[in-house]
Amino acid sequence: MRFNVVSYLIKEGFKSTFKQKKMTGASIIIMCATMFIFGLFFVIGENVNSVITQIESQQGIQIFIDEDATDAEIETLGNQIRAIPGVNRATFVSKEDALNSMKTTLGDESLFEGWDEENPFPASYFVTLTDLSLNEQVQSEILALDNVDEIQSENTTINRLQSLANGIQITTIIILILLIIISIFIISYTIKLTVHARRREISIMKYVGATNGFIRGPFVVEGVIIGVISAIITLVILGIAYNAVMNSIGDSVLLQEMGFGLLSFSEMFYLVLGVYLILGVGIGVLGSAISMRKYLKV
Amino acid sequence: MIEFRNVSKKYETGTEAIHNINFKINKGEFAFLVGSSGSGKSTIIKLILKEEEPTSGNIIINGKDTTFLKPSRVPFLRRSMGIVFQDFRLLPDKTVYENVAFAMYVVRATPKHIRRQVPMVLSLVGLANKAKVYPNELSGGEQQRVALARAIVNNPSMLIADEPTGNLDPNTAWDIMELLNDINLRGTTVVVATHAKDIVDKMNKRVIRIDKGNIVRDEKGGYDEV
Repeated sequence: MRFNVVSYLIKEGFKSTFKQKKMTGASIIIMCATMFIFGLFFVIGENVNSVITQIESQQGIQIFIDEDATDAEIETLGNQIRAIPGVNRATFVSKEDALNSMKTTLGDESLFEGWDEENPFPASYFVTLTDLSLNEQVQSEILALDNVDEIQSENTTINRLQSLANGIQITTIIILILLIIISIFIISYTIKLTVHARRREISIMKYVGATNGFIRGPFVVEGVIIGVISAIITLVILGIAYNAVMNSIGDSVLLQEMGFGLLSFSEMFYLVLGVYLILGVGIGVLGSAISMRKYLKV
Repeated sequence: MIEFRNVSKKYETGTEAIHNINFKINKGEFAFLVGSSGSGKSTIIKLILKEEEPTSGNIIINGKDTTFLKPSRVPFLRRSMGIVFQDFRLLPDKTVYENVAFAMYVVRATPKHIRRQVPMVLSLVGLANKAKVYPNELSGGEQQRVALARAIVNNPSMLIADEPTGNLDPNTAWDIMELLNDINLRGTTVVVATHAKDIVDKMNKRVIRIDKGNIVRDEKGGYDEV
C-alpha cells in the first residue's frame, strides 16, 4: 500500500512536469545555464587546486644548518622538523651533496677545484609541505629551532597561487549562491503554474481529508524532476565543452614545460555529478515548497 | 455530533458574519440550515469544515473541541465528513469512477478496498452504468450524484451539503434531496444549507434559520413557519 502511494506521487509528478511543457523547458534552460557557469568555475577551481597540490609536492623550503652543529644535533633538528604539523618530508642534504649538485648544475667540474677541502656550501634540510597554506607557519616554527642558520623558500610563487585559489573559491561560492537563488525562483514559479492549474484538484483533496504532505508530494516530485534533468543535461554539456578545451590547450608547450598535468573530465565526473545532483534535488525541493506555501492554507 | 457554543465570527474586513450562535445537531439527525444569502449560513459551514476559525466560542465535533485542533490534524477531522457543494466540484479529466476513487486514493485506501467500495456507492446513487463516463457528459443532477458518491465513499459519520440543489431544476433537486434522505436513513448525520423553500417545506425536517448572523428559529417544520 505504501509503495502504491509512492508510485502515485511519482506518476502525478511526471504528468504535471510535462503538462507545462513551455515553462518546464524554460526553467530547465535557465537552470542549465546557471549550473553550467557554476560548473565552469568549479572545474577551473578543481584544476588550480590540483596544480597547487602538484607544486606542493615539488616546492620545498631549504633550511641551512649552522656550520658548527654536530651530527647528533643535525639528527635532532631533522626529527624536530618532521614533527611540525604540515611538514610532508624533510630530506638531509650534506655539504658534499650540495657541492655535487652544484657541480652537476653548472656542468664544469674544473670551476670547483680545491673546493672539496674547503666546502663553502652549508648542510641543509629540504622540506616539502602537505599544504601550501601552512607555509609561513611552518617557517616560523622552524626558525625557532636550534642550529638553524637561514631559510630559503619561494614565498611569492606559493602566495600567488594560494591567493588565486582563494579568489576562484570565493567566485565559485558567489556564483553558487546566485545559482541557488535564481533556480529556486524559476522552479517555484514554474510549479506555481501547475499548482494554479490544479487548484481545483488541490481544494478537493483538502476537503476529502488529504494531508498536506500528500498534496505536496507530486509538486516536490515535479521540482526534483526539473532539477535532475537540468543536472544531467548540464553535466553532458560541461563534459563536452571541457574535453574540447582540453584538446586544444592540453598539449600546449607551456603547460608541458611547467610540468603540470590538468585533470581529465573523467577524473572529476563523479564529483561534478554528485554536486549537480545535490543542487538539482535540493533546489527542486525548496522551489516546490515555496510555491505551495500559499495554497496549503485552508 | 456538531455543537456550536457561543460562536461568533468577525472577518478581518470588520463584518460580523455570525453572532453568539448556539445549536447542537445530534448523531443521525437531518437538519436544514436556511436563510437568505449573506445571512451567515456559509460561515457556519466553513466553521464546521474548519476552513475558518471562530473569533470566539467553541465548536465541538464528534465530542472533540476543534478550537485548538492542530492544523496537521485538520485533514483527519475532514475525513469524518463528506462534503457536497453547489457547483459539484468534479475533476473534468477523470471519469466518474476515478472521481470517486480519487477521494479514497488521497486518504490512502488500499486498491482492493477501492475496487470494492466505488461500484457500491455508485450503484447507491444510481450511476452504476456511468462509471466510465466523464463529468461533462452528465446532466447536472447526475454530476451532483457523483459528488454525493464521492462524499460518502469513505463512510463519513456526517454529510455537509452547501446549497446542493442550487444549480438544479426542481425535479432533479428533489431526487438529490431524496438521496440525501436515504443516506441519512443509513445512519449518517446530514446538514444541508439551502434556501430552496419548497424542498424544505416538503421534507419537514429540523430547520435552523439564520438571519443577520443570529439563529431566529430552530424547530421541525417548513421554511417559513414561526
